[in-house]
Amino acid sequence: MVPQEHATTAPDAHAPGFDAGRLIIEHVANSNPDHPLIHLPKVFGIDFSISKHVLMLWVVAAAVFVVVTWIVRSHAKQNRQVPSGLLNGLEAIVEFVRNSIALPNVGKKWVNAYTPFLLTFFVFILVSNAIGLVPIFEVLGLLDRYVLHSSDHSFVKQVLHGGSTTTANVNVTAALSTITFLTIIVAGSRAHGFFGHWKNLAPSGMALPLYAILIPIELMGMLVRPFALTMRLAANMMGGHIAILAIISFVFLFAEIFGHALAGIGVGVVLTVPLAVGISALEIIVILVQAYVFTLLSAVFIGMAIHAHH
Amino acid sequence: MSVLHYFGAALGLGLIVIGAGLGIGKLAAALAEGVSRQPAAADKISGAVNLPLFLLEGVAILAEVFVLLVVLLK
Repeated sequence: MVPQEHATTAPDAHAPGFDAGRLIIEHVANSNPDHPLIHLPKVFGIDFSISKHVLMLWVVAAAVFVVVTWIVRSHAKQNRQVPSGLLNGLEAIVEFVRNSIALPNVGKKWVNAYTPFLLTFFVFILVSNAIGLVPIFEVLGLLDRYVLHSSDHSFVKQVLHGGSTTTANVNVTAALSTITFLTIIVAGSRAHGFFGHWKNLAPSGMALPLYAILIPIELMGMLVRPFALTMRLAANMMGGHIAILAIISFVFLFAEIFGHALAGIGVGVVLTVPLAVGISALEIIVILVQAYVFTLLSAVFIGMAIHAHH
Repeated sequence: MSVLHYFGAALGLGLIVIGAGLGIGKLAAALAEGVSRQPAAADKISGAVNLPLFLLEGVAILAEVFVLLVVLLK
């Protein structure tokens, strides 16, 4: 899927007419692979260049690290028992993840072992989902258009190209669910021993021919679960952005069809703005739910590896 | 022929929406019924409904991704 995303993002702004498809892809996809933010050499055939999504991943990681460390440290300095201010919110998140995601699925014995992992996932996915809804780069684009007037291949123009939601990129979510996949194996191995975990995949004491069917099915199920996690998060995050952009495109499409700017403005006032506001509100729910779902399903799969009753 | 291509993709998208809508509707109906009969167990019931709901949503999203692929990989 990824090559197609990049294929249609040729940087020519002088195409005749308004192309809604190209505009939408340009606002959702990563940087153009030929023009990343910083060129780095290929190592073993893998391109290590810094693209926009890599930059946003770093921004998210830095933001989470700085904010959480600052909150916890400023509390530790005060030397008081009762949490105050932002630490209340942080504690609410931690307790929510531990008590309603980790504890029911992983079990009492392992809850402290896997809560930090699940908490990291939850906060990271939540913040990187949420940062996509903040129009940082749109404001920067406006500044560039009217104030900065940067040249075509300047850093600002490269940063403006592409979407800022890292979790809308399949590669990012694939990396996240690979971590889940490995954690499932580690969790099963810690609970039952390395060979015990693999033996738990299929129930014991069945007729021998049945295993010829059962083992491939179980192996497939093992691989499908992280794939479903990958696609769910990426498609959900991308879908909302595509919907908003498509609705905003109506303004320009109608203006072009009727050959008059007023038609576009009319459609914008009557249809686009209310719908876009509605979908943005829905997106706020979606970012919370998707962070919750990814964490919950990770916890469920880890719990299934630990409590394998065959 | 290219029109038929888009037609099929759009039809598939509609079918996905019908299926997912029926599934989510059934789950929501069962949840509302269960909670109204036993409000004390609301947390447990919604916890039990959540997981199949997300699995259903995952299947629907996967199907939508494949429909998108059908359009893109024409």
